[in-house]
Amino acid sequence: MKLIPWRSKKDGGEIRPSESSTSITRFRDEVDRLFDRLFEDPFGMIREPLATPGGWAPTLDVVESDKEVMVRAEVPGMDPKDIDITVSGNVLTLSGEKRDSVEDKGDNWYHCERRFGTFRRNVQLPSYVDMNKVSAEHANGVLTIHIDKVSSAAPKKVTVKPAAT
Amino acid sequence: MTTTTIEKTESQVTPAEATWDGLLFRPNVDILENEEELTVLADMPGTCSEDIDIQLENGTLTLYAKVRGRQSASQRYALNEYGIGDFQRTFRISQTIDTKKISAEYRNGVLTLHLPKTEQAKPRKIGVKAVK
Repeated sequence: MKLIPWRSKKDGGEIRPSESSTSITRFRDEVDRLFDRLFEDPFGMIREPLATPGGWAPTLDVVESDKEVMVRAEVPGMDPKDIDITVSGNVLTLSGEKRDSVEDKGDNWYHCERRFGTFRRNVQLPSYVDMNKVSAEHANGVLTIHIDKVSSAAPKKVTVKPAAT
Repeated sequence: MTTTTIEKTESQVTPAEATWDGLLFRPNVDILENEEELTVLADMPGTCSEDIDIQLENGTLTLYAKVRGRQSASQRYALNEYGIGDFQRTFRISQTIDTKKISAEYRNGVLTLHLPKTEQAKPRKIGVKAVK
């Protein structure tokens, strides 16, 4: 068995056109891509289909500042109790179900544009956040999650002392 | 059943007050009708009840909500999936709405607007008296 060193595809990694169709090489490509993403971007967003067809999933903003990483989601029409925020390793998961508040009582519908359904969104967070310091608030259909960075990750100024002579 | 009609007027007809240069979003709405009223549900996250303006004038219903900015260009976005801007939408509604009884509530980012029908517009059941 041969060990193949990992190299980013962007840095001129090897291209194997002849064998690219077999399932094992496709799998290897997939793993390579995951690694590429991991090394390029500390957040390494796990991209996945936002929602099933006709379904719904919240849109996210992820912002990093000196002290924290903030995740913000628009969740109109959801009771905060119906939103699950879980932390596993360095992955923050938002899941829940947006339910239609209108009961079907034989009303006539003129417009039906609002979407409902179950969702699950995963956000890969950088390694320098403190997953024990996660707080969340909800106001007017906007959910805000704060994850503190570990104190050692904040930019620090190092003062230079004159050496004792 | 009834003659109430509601139709979307294309929002390209810009109302006079929209003279700022911010983004304007069209909220997704559900509109339902029963015997008593029309109900409009609009997804408008990030505003508050004081910043919502509802007007019904000459059969034109305008929903407008001011959204305070919560994104800044100076921040480092790892993910930026949605935009921020005010919400606005206009509908044409027939004159069978009892304008004095219109009520609205805003909860968890959803505006619910109740447009009760006038007495004349409600379907009525006419009782038949038995004559001996």
